[in-house]
Amino acid sequence: MTVSNTAWKSAAPPPAPLSTKSPKSRTRKPVRAHGWRNVVWVLPAVLLLGLFAYLPLVQNLGFSFLKWDIYSGRQTFVGADNYVRMFNDPIFWKSLLNNTLYAVISIAFQVFGAMILAAMIEGLRSQRWRGILRAVYFVPSAISLTVAGLLFYFIYEPEMGILNAALDFLGLGNFTQAWLGQENTAIFAIIAMSQWQGFGYCTLLFSVALQRIPSELYEAASIDGVGPFQRFFSISLPLVREMTGLMMIVTVSGAFQVFNEVMVMTSGGPNNSSQVLGTWLYRSGFVRNDFGYAAAVATAVFIITLVLAVIQLRISKKRRVQW
Amino acid sequence: MRKSTQSLMALLAGAALALTGCAGGGSQPAAVLNPNAEPQYTGTLSILTKFGGDPLEPYFEDLAAEYKKLHPEVSFDLIQETDQSIKDKTKTLTASQAMPDIYFTWAGSWANNFIDGGLAADLTPVIAPGTEWGNNFGESALKAFAKDGKYFAVPLYNNGKFMGYNQRIFKQLNLTPPTTFDELISTCSVLKEAGYEPISFGNKDGWPGLHYLQQLFAYEVPADALQADFSPGTAKLEDTGYLKAMGQFTTLVNECTGSGKDSNGVLYTTAQQALAEGKSGMYYQEILEFDSTASADSKLKQDGLGIFKLPAAADAKGDPQAIEGSPEGYIINARSKNAALAADFMKFATNSQNAAKLSAPPYGQPSAVKGAVSTANSSGPVIEGIKQVNEASAAITWLDSVTVPAVADAWLAGGEALVAGTQTPDQVLASVRAASSAAK
Repeated sequence: MTVSNTAWKSAAPPPAPLSTKSPKSRTRKPVRAHGWRNVVWVLPAVLLLGLFAYLPLVQNLGFSFLKWDIYSGRQTFVGADNYVRMFNDPIFWKSLLNNTLYAVISIAFQVFGAMILAAMIEGLRSQRWRGILRAVYFVPSAISLTVAGLLFYFIYEPEMGILNAALDFLGLGNFTQAWLGQENTAIFAIIAMSQWQGFGYCTLLFSVALQRIPSELYEAASIDGVGPFQRFFSISLPLVREMTGLMMIVTVSGAFQVFNEVMVMTSGGPNNSSQVLGTWLYRSGFVRNDFGYAAAVATAVFIITLVLAVIQLRISKKRRVQW
Repeated sequence: MRKSTQSLMALLAGAALALTGCAGGGSQPAAVLNPNAEPQYTGTLSILTKFGGDPLEPYFEDLAAEYKKLHPEVSFDLIQETDQSIKDKTKTLTASQAMPDIYFTWAGSWANNFIDGGLAADLTPVIAPGTEWGNNFGESALKAFAKDGKYFAVPLYNNGKFMGYNQRIFKQLNLTPPTTFDELISTCSVLKEAGYEPISFGNKDGWPGLHYLQQLFAYEVPADALQADFSPGTAKLEDTGYLKAMGQFTTLVNECTGSGKDSNGVLYTTAQQALAEGKSGMYYQEILEFDSTASADSKLKQDGLGIFKLPAAADAKGDPQAIEGSPEGYIINARSKNAALAADFMKFATNSQNAAKLSAPPYGQPSAVKGAVSTANSSGPVIEGIKQVNEASAAITWLDSVTVPAVADAWLAGGEALVAGTQTPDQVLASVRAASSAAK
């Protein structure tokens, strides 16, 4: 079964197209007539944005060409040396790999997993249970990342943590280990905490997106005898594409900017195994006193997130759904 | 790349370089300072301390309150950080050129950064050995912050690293403090058989492992080679003693610690707690921690805290009499407008009364002032620790502050790899050599 325009029209008058201007707006004077006033209105915002968002970006780019001794304040121009070092630095590549892992796992759990969970919650008949479940899944998102990181640090603690205790209790004692103290598990343990933290937020946003889909579509599909799986793939999934695109941007950008949880739980250790770009630039600057190099890493983070955001924005723009 | 994009990038790069002042020195020459001048008892003194958190925090607060009673027009801006957070705080303040009038420092490379950067006032006229104020301190404590014959910091307290042990458990198992590394390993097996964690060890932050390594390096690497290797300019890092010491460290982690390879996931304070609660037999700790580990309400206080030096191997090629540790002190900012007042406040902080107070529980920070640590005000382990530090052939500064940060960072990662068993001593030494070469 496919959702036909006939079913749509027969059910109820469609909501106003999102892109349609209201009748009132047509009566307004052209924007150009108020040009100078518009400039006055937006000028403070533009100045503040320029001062606090774009000027530091430009300054950081400048720092990345310097060797900077913070103690004497001496700054020496070193050209592209910091970038050459960065490309030859195994910890930089390890960090980038960890960020990529973060992004891939976050897309799987926080975008597609959350979408499925939201569809299941919204598919429940009981309004009360829907509300309760939304709240239950959302609660972890209300906890700050630092607090969640500390909480999970104690959950993962090898001697007193409840994760190993639970595994022991379940007869899975062979699987107990120092989750944050082993090079092969540390980054995955942190990513797992992040998924727990962000999952509910994404679920809630998908719930909102699903609620915006006219119920008539589902009713029509049910009348045609369509099962829940096909309803999900034929109605829900296509009509939350815009939210999916947005969530992809948010989670992927977030995965390349991750800092707090890694800092709190491992500081990038042991032996740099859980280092991500954010913690590596921090460590380069504030621990190794290598601020020029840290600025180069920061520039790399900026470029990566900018490119990803542009690509995703373009893709999601092409797929924008209007009804 | 499109022409417009290229132009934009070129413009951005040019603007960035112009904004940062690419090839200039951003530093200002240090103001002429005379800490010996008569202080004006007015204004605000800003102080960055390493006394954040319980039980240390009240010490500087009380000092400031007492000083204010004497000089009501002086006010204080106290920034109190912990051992972990002060590194970041100091660097942030330095980078933003907002260093306070008085600030904490470790000895070694850490202090030298401020001295070389013109941020440390030359205190030689007032604190050098032979001066009225300087005579109050042990000469070795003053020399820890000396460079090129000048003295740059006020040593507040001494420090050293010792193995603390539970006297009741040792007595119960008929154990005596081991005198060689092999005896230490044997002691561990006796404790393990009796159901105790032999040595509690938490290496979550990496530096606890470095403290073991540095003491073992002092035992196994000849002193001259070790000293040369701290500086990238003279470092060779070729002595086989490094490999032997790292081997000993790995043995100790595997044979003596309850958490073994998992220790990178255990907090230092969790390990400290294990000794305080009588769950472990030993714990490697600084003198500064003795009174907080064996606090008044701890089981360890009842059982009795004993200390001994981490034992060296019988055939050690380095200096078996050396001990790891160094005084910690306070620098007066060379750019401070209140330098004379800052010096006066530090004289007040190191007078005999305040020095004795600092050495006594609950602070237990053995003052660098002569005679401040005594049976009248300090606990037995603190007195014994300071005695051994004073009798040691040499004081070896912590590995994470004696060398440059990039090399210290390589040692840190290497120590964690040794604990986890993911790298051999050869691999660790190779990565440290690479970091040292790059830092030249």
